[in-house]
Amino acid sequence: MLHIKCPHCGMRSQNEFSYGGDASVKRPELGKDISDQDWNNFVYNRKSLRGKHWELWQHLAGCRQWIKVERDTGSHEIFKTLKAEEEIS
Amino acid sequence: MTQSFRLKDIGLINRNKKLSFKFNGKKYYGYEGDSLASALIANGVHLIGRSFKYHRPRGFFGAGVDEPYAIVQLYRNGETEPNIKATEQELFDGLEATSVNCWPSVNFDIGAINNFLRIFLPAGFYYKTFMWPKSFWFKIYEPFIRKAAGLGTVSIKHDKERYEHKYEYCDLLIAGSGPSGLASAYAAAKNGARVILAEDKSRFGGTLLTSEVNIGNKSGKEWADGIISELKEMPNVTVKNRSQVFGYYDHNMLVMSERVSDHLPKTKDFHPKQRLWYIRAKEVLISSGSIERPIVFGNNDTPGVMLSSAAKEYMKVYGVLVGKNPLIFTNNDSGYETAIEFKKNGIDPLILDTRSNPKSEIINEAQDLDIKIKYSYVVVAAQGYKKVKSADIAKISDDKEQLGNIENVKCDCICVSGYWTPTIHLASQSGNKTKFNEEIDAFVPGKSKQNEKTLGAANGIYTLEETLKDSFKIGSEVSKKITNNENKVSFPNVVEKKSSIHDKFWCVPLPKGKNYKRFLDFQNDVAVSDIEIALREGYRSIEHVKRYTTLGMATDQGKTSNLNGLQLVSKIENKVVPAVGHTTFRPPYTPVSIGAIVGREVGKHSKPTRKSPMHSWHEKNNAVFVDAGVWLRPRYYKRGNEDLFEASKREAKNVRTNVGVCDVTTLGKIDIKGPDAAELLNRVYTNAWLKLPVGKARYGVMLREDGIVMDDGTTTRISENHYHMTTTTAQAANVLSHLEYYLQLVWPELNVNVVSSTEQWAGAAIAGPKSRNLLQKLFPNSDVSNEGLPFMGYMEGDLFGVKARIFRISFSGELAYEVNVESNNGNFMWEKIIEVGEQFEIQPYGTEALSTLRIEMGHVAGSELDGRTIPYDNSLEGLLSKKKDFIGKRSLIREAFTAEDRQKVVGVVPLDKKTSIPEGSHLVKDSKAPSPNPKLGYISASCWSVEYDNPFSLAILKDGKNMIGEKLFVMSPLKNKIIPVEIVSSHYVDPKGERVRS
Amino acid sequence: MQKYSVFSLIKNALSNHENWDLAWKDPTPKKEYDVVIIGGGGHGLATAYYLAKEHNITNVAIIEKGWIGGGNVGRNTTIIRSNYMYDENALFSEFGMNLWRKMSQDLNYNVMFSPRGIINLAHSDAQMNVYARRGNSMRLNGIDAVLLNREQVKEIIPMADFSENVRFPIFGGLMQPSAGTARHDAVAWGYARQADSMGVDIIQNCEVIGFDISAGKIKGIRTSRGEIKAKKIGLCVAGSTNILAEKLNMTLPIETHLLQACVSEPVKPVLDNVVTFGAGHFYISQSDKGEMVMGGDLDGYNSYAQRGNLPTLQHVLTEGIAMMPFLSKLKMLRTWGGIMDMSMDGSPIIDKTHIQGLYLNCGWCYGGFKATPASGWTFAHTIAQDRVHELNAGYSLNRFNTGHLLDEKGLGTKTWIS
Repeated sequence: MLHIKCPHCGMRSQNEFSYGGDASVKRPELGKDISDQDWNNFVYNRKSLRGKHWELWQHLAGCRQWIKVERDTGSHEIFKTLKAEEEIS
Repeated sequence: MTQSFRLKDIGLINRNKKLSFKFNGKKYYGYEGDSLASALIANGVHLIGRSFKYHRPRGFFGAGVDEPYAIVQLYRNGETEPNIKATEQELFDGLEATSVNCWPSVNFDIGAINNFLRIFLPAGFYYKTFMWPKSFWFKIYEPFIRKAAGLGTVSIKHDKERYEHKYEYCDLLIAGSGPSGLASAYAAAKNGARVILAEDKSRFGGTLLTSEVNIGNKSGKEWADGIISELKEMPNVTVKNRSQVFGYYDHNMLVMSERVSDHLPKTKDFHPKQRLWYIRAKEVLISSGSIERPIVFGNNDTPGVMLSSAAKEYMKVYGVLVGKNPLIFTNNDSGYETAIEFKKNGIDPLILDTRSNPKSEIINEAQDLDIKIKYSYVVVAAQGYKKVKSADIAKISDDKEQLGNIENVKCDCICVSGYWTPTIHLASQSGNKTKFNEEIDAFVPGKSKQNEKTLGAANGIYTLEETLKDSFKIGSEVSKKITNNENKVSFPNVVEKKSSIHDKFWCVPLPKGKNYKRFLDFQNDVAVSDIEIALREGYRSIEHVKRYTTLGMATDQGKTSNLNGLQLVSKIENKVVPAVGHTTFRPPYTPVSIGAIVGREVGKHSKPTRKSPMHSWHEKNNAVFVDAGVWLRPRYYKRGNEDLFEASKREAKNVRTNVGVCDVTTLGKIDIKGPDAAELLNRVYTNAWLKLPVGKARYGVMLREDGIVMDDGTTTRISENHYHMTTTTAQAANVLSHLEYYLQLVWPELNVNVVSSTEQWAGAAIAGPKSRNLLQKLFPNSDVSNEGLPFMGYMEGDLFGVKARIFRISFSGELAYEVNVESNNGNFMWEKIIEVGEQFEIQPYGTEALSTLRIEMGHVAGSELDGRTIPYDNSLEGLLSKKKDFIGKRSLIREAFTAEDRQKVVGVVPLDKKTSIPEGSHLVKDSKAPSPNPKLGYISASCWSVEYDNPFSLAILKDGKNMIGEKLFVMSPLKNKIIPVEIVSSHYVDPKGERVRS
Repeated sequence: MQKYSVFSLIKNALSNHENWDLAWKDPTPKKEYDVVIIGGGGHGLATAYYLAKEHNITNVAIIEKGWIGGGNVGRNTTIIRSNYMYDENALFSEFGMNLWRKMSQDLNYNVMFSPRGIINLAHSDAQMNVYARRGNSMRLNGIDAVLLNREQVKEIIPMADFSENVRFPIFGGLMQPSAGTARHDAVAWGYARQADSMGVDIIQNCEVIGFDISAGKIKGIRTSRGEIKAKKIGLCVAGSTNILAEKLNMTLPIETHLLQACVSEPVKPVLDNVVTFGAGHFYISQSDKGEMVMGGDLDGYNSYAQRGNLPTLQHVLTEGIAMMPFLSKLKMLRTWGGIMDMSMDGSPIIDKTHIQGLYLNCGWCYGGFKATPASGWTFAHTIAQDRVHELNAGYSLNRFNTGHLLDEKGLGTKTWIS
């Protein structure tokens, strides 16, 4: 069971969180023209590599905040967690 | 027989408490503190079961968790448990056990014919045959093989036992209470660290219970007892026996199973059988010790052949002799300790040492005791079928290739020591890449991956002094880092005998002309010859070898076989052992009961049950409930002998003619507040929301980004910056997370807060032509006229002193309202509605009538919005704003979504106006077309139209918009039905929607 | 090649099993091949076999990073079925069922295909209707399916929970009687042995480091054992697809996730069928060895670790006990994880790519094992003919652009929710 540091609440067990996928995906701005390819990249296409991966988790059974987590998809080591509004460095 | 192999004055058993037990129907006696294995051996019983494949006789090989073959069927408290290791099962009074995998009895087993056919049954034989004729595999061969396989039997009775979970945090978890565990726990505890010390066995102390050592002028056992009692007194220490740390998971989460009641005749009331501990440890010290390795020789699976350490443990812990004429076969000094113990108990052993001229203190002691020792000697083969009767032995050349003349010596047991294998499972599970230690011929932990350190024998350190020194030091250092305390512990004086080096010899060559089976894996019957075949056939990766031969795949998980298997492959392939590699260990270290893993979430509690505040009223009024996710909802209210069909028809009809009330508490409700709330709704829903006035509700549809409908519902503007959103029951949690996602991550500039208010409100839908009359009585002070509360209007009202929200919204297509009150008042509201509604002939209606009402109105619901349809499919395209962007809009312009003949919801009526149409049927043009018969659409929902008194269905139909008036067939091959139908509009009743506005 | 039979077994027994041939050789890679298949799993081995058998293309190499059959073909729960709703999935799988039925004889290797039937349990009338939609679709496609009521289910699997103390009572189920199981390793080995005998080079311990592409055409690969030229290359590495796609500068509608499975200790036969739980995600069958083979949900976050977490297993086994309470008395013996290509609509991709001569076979989610023969057959066709077969036309990469999605479960793009 992963141990995730919620930037709002502190270290909590994985079972308080729900996963939200790749955090590097940026939703295109509403109302802007966008090519088919760019739209598909947003909706469907993911790199999903082995190694460091920025991803979203929601602290569902806690503060209900969405957070960004940098985790190694091979070893599950967690390097960093950020609040929703903080930019991935 | 009365315990004729029981020694007099030795052992840790309680001779004052005699216990009776049965094995294979025969009654025996043992003592409190015995294992089932020790009690059987005390009675001279060595034939326990039969092997998996060849059905060869099986006895005892070890004395603990590594046991490959003393597997029995246990009977305890009216229940039976398969595959219990007799070496691990503690004896209790009245215990009963039987042999497994034999018929008619363990003594005379028909399956043993396989032993004579064994040359035809090498590794992988089943891949090469049983293929003809084609149908025979499933019908003939496989059923036979299935019956022959398996070990014990499991009854399909429900488990009466209870299992618990416990979550724990600690500074140090120490797995194993041998010398390294005790020393490190003591040092850490003295520094004030929160320590959990776990011991798999019932007794603490590990090898200290059986070794002849002296620590601080005490015997090993006395020292261990002293440390344990001191630890037990310390408030920062938890000491647990019968507790196996079986899994090392991510982020230093370890899981331990505690066998709370397995050693008792029956579980005490309100106690669990087992308890599973989830332990999050800051640091982990692995002190799991080592397991003795067998030496491989002919017929080494004969009952009576066992590990020398086990023989010693049976003597020193249980006061039991495994034989009275023992042969010790060793490649190191450990065998001598066993021999000396025999000698001390008046038994004359013979030692065969593979080494030519070893010298050490302990060998000197054996010589001084006049123990017979033959150097450069090996056991070539055990003789005897159900028990060792003698051994063929021979001198072996220095290069270990040539055997001298075979001699036969009488013996009744062969105690084998092939040196020690560190138990590195937990370290490996943590992600530690293990390395091969040439000196001890085994793998040891490498660089730590998580916060773990391995101590003592588990780390390949085999001397007590070094183990204790190292463990005190590490226990102290690791705890000091956490507590910042340092309380020096004085290191005790250690006296132990020094060993000489072991001989890296592990397999006795076959003598010329002999074809003995030399087993590596005793439970799965994998012999040296099987590995040879696998390699010969090109299954060369160690993983291929394992899978082809099943080496190490038995219930002992290869604890005694894996390393010898690797040695064999490395020898034949001419590679060093680490180049052959070894399998990464995965949890569990030993098999763990599934009940313990699951805990209390069984039966009715396997998932939560949610009930509305009006639930007990429904129960009292004969509601038949249906699961809606985890909610229970009334499906219909049974009157007399009505069935579902009749009751739901009555309830629906009453809504169409009078008035009905339905519990809609389960709908998801989200409270939305903030100056940008309208903007949020405008982005989330497909239609326009910026101009919704206060006091008005609107129906909305929201999409996923891929254009598929996610959910629908109404949202009401309560005040300037305050909205009340409803969702479907099923999507409530998802919609809230969805909104939070966009608000927190995508549009943080929007000043809006959302919170679930599902539990805060109880809801009742009041529907039917008389609903306004009823409402007027319920809210005499409010103007609920068509003008005062028009369709999609909202107001607050006073329901006999209770604050209520009144929405004029309709799912049934009738004039209808929804009244919400705070949950506490839900039952009050409901009872008032029923009471006041009596004069209007009100009836409660359930989800089935609700379905009927919405279907004949053509309102889509979950069966249409199934995660695969877009707004057009549901005739919701009118709600797609052309002026603004919204979530998922960009996906809707895709080719398949805009195709001319795109599927669309339609109505379906049987031509005979009588035959009910089963849901899940398909629509086809030609009912007689050969398969695959092209399907044009499917029936998503069916009802009996109470308006027209004939069946009516909704369907999602290809090119639905151009199909109205077409005649098609509904086919349900599953129900053997072909029904000619006509396609009609999905709005079957009141297509103009006049009633809701009336 | 030696033919396997009871006679060859007896003959070899009499010569002490010393004369068995290699099941496959261990060749050094050649400089160039007509076709290189990357990935020595079930699908890659089957593709090579069908290239040789159906298209007479034998100058073929299979490049495997580790050992053949070490990926998901050796890490699944061995279930074989064609109980799909969408035509594309159903007809593809049923084509595969016909290959399964004669596989042991075709390969002269007993893969132990055992049509013991799969039952999907339903726990409400609404779920019965959802199953009926799928079952009727199967029947109209010529696939066997039976709708069972509660009593019929009880007759077949009395060990399921029919008591009062049950959270989600069993209403009935959908059964595909011809579905079943097979011995997973044997499938990989059987295909390998036949492919090898027809001239295919099986090259193990050979890692692909990069691709050579020029002017939009594939030219070859760089590997840990040197450069290998190839006219055509088939990518067949479910679980590692995203890693190789990155080397090709491609981003795919696939995420990589871990699926765990476990077995209990072996017991005497008690369960004949494959059974799935309808109020959650759990499936079970009993192997010929007697072990209960069980699986369920994904670990729930992107993962390349072949080690899983316990909460997922606990969750899966909770559903197991909810379905069959007696399971709580068994012990969990072994657990393992397989790395899945989770595609964004739950269905696979077998297609050409924008690079000429490069073909893609991926996105199998949890359905890869049963698809082995049909996947190999259609992929071989796609490679040999340089065009997709009508059976895999629906499995195009382009469907995400056009909206022709094949989402059997309606779960959309949240690949981690199963």
